[in-house]
Amino acid sequence: MNENDSSITARAAQLRDEQLFERRKRIDRMFAVLLVVQYLAGIIGALTVSPYAWEGKVKVLHTHVWVAILGGGGIIILPILLAMLRPGTTLTRHVIAASQMLSSALLIHLTGGRIETHFHVFGSLAFLAFYLDWPVLITATVIVAADHFLRGIFWPESVYGVANPEWWRFLEHAGWVVFEDIFLVWSCVLGQREVVKSAMKQAEVEHLSEQEQLKSAALEMAMAEMQAAS
Amino acid sequence: MNIRRVLITSALVGATLLWTVTIGAMYRAIRQFESTPGRAADALGSWPASSRIPRAPGQWRLVMLVHPHCSCSRASIDELRRIIEKSPASLETYVVVYRPKEFPNGWEKTDVFTAASHLPRTHIVLDNDGHEASIFHGFTSGQTFLYDGDGRLRFSGGITLLRGHAGFNSGSAEVMQIARTREGNGAHPVFGCAINK
Repeated sequence: MNENDSSITARAAQLRDEQLFERRKRIDRMFAVLLVVQYLAGIIGALTVSPYAWEGKVKVLHTHVWVAILGGGGIIILPILLAMLRPGTTLTRHVIAASQMLSSALLIHLTGGRIETHFHVFGSLAFLAFYLDWPVLITATVIVAADHFLRGIFWPESVYGVANPEWWRFLEHAGWVVFEDIFLVWSCVLGQREVVKSAMKQAEVEHLSEQEQLKSAALEMAMAEMQAAS
Repeated sequence: MNIRRVLITSALVGATLLWTVTIGAMYRAIRQFESTPGRAADALGSWPASSRIPRAPGQWRLVMLVHPHCSCSRASIDELRRIIEKSPASLETYVVVYRPKEFPNGWEKTDVFTAASHLPRTHIVLDNDGHEASIFHGFTSGQTFLYDGDGRLRFSGGITLLRGHAGFNSGSAEVMQIARTREGNGAHPVFGCAINK
């Protein structure tokens, strides 16, 4: 590798990092908005489905509403702060992934383990793949599998909608998540390759342009010297 | 610049602690709410004679007390439907719907009421001020009683596993078993809103 090649490679790496950083900052902010929207949706859902618990003639706000307000708020505060104060960092992405899965778990709970709400997990994974950082998908998968495993042991109806699921039911759910992960990890790797390729092209163009500028400058200097000599 | 950095770090550390504590507390709160049973009935061993619900000798009776605004009782009604569908056609079911005297007519017309009124072979009994619930010594929405043809109590309790969760559970399984085989007795914790508090 000559000096030119190594400078192009170094510039390409710099461009790749810049592009990925900008992309991930944007996605962090998008997730911050999404987390707020989901939070509000959880509260509206809880207020619609079960607003009150009754003690005879007296109604009190249902525990689900408090959980949606306080629990949901607690889940989103850290990722939102990180998205605002530390956008684009690895830590922010992983906290967002964990919080997004916890939001899924909360929504699944608030809907009584309704199977349709599990689609939120799959949609969230697809969105997380926009980061082009496949370890983020692993964090999300571990959180969702742990939630299903623990709730499946202690509290199966809140996650599966049935009281006596088979012990391996969490593996079935996690298996489908892994199934999606395989394609999303692949898309992340391909996406990263595209970014690298585009950064390399840009670095080459920049290098050629610099070379042209240097040649032009040298030519102009030579012309000026010739004119001065004549 | 340093002050800004300290503030940001403090905010992030605080948020991390809050995040961790909230997740634990949330799971605990939900678990506690949903797994804490309501007050069990002090059910009499035989059919209460002062009840408005008619009793024909030889006829098995299933009675459920319901608070129409208790969202958890939707699950009890779902389970009741399952029991009715899998029990002998001779089993008569009564859903006793609580209505305090302070509330106007129609207060009880909720989705729980509608679901109960669509149950097969089921009669709805409007329970003004919880009088009928008192006669049965029941205190919690979802409380279910099964009486045999001789008026003896064969099952008392709830028919859901947790608050607001329909699905197979030992309470509803026992009711079905007793109603089908006409043998045995059973009891199960009841999960729902309080009646007559």
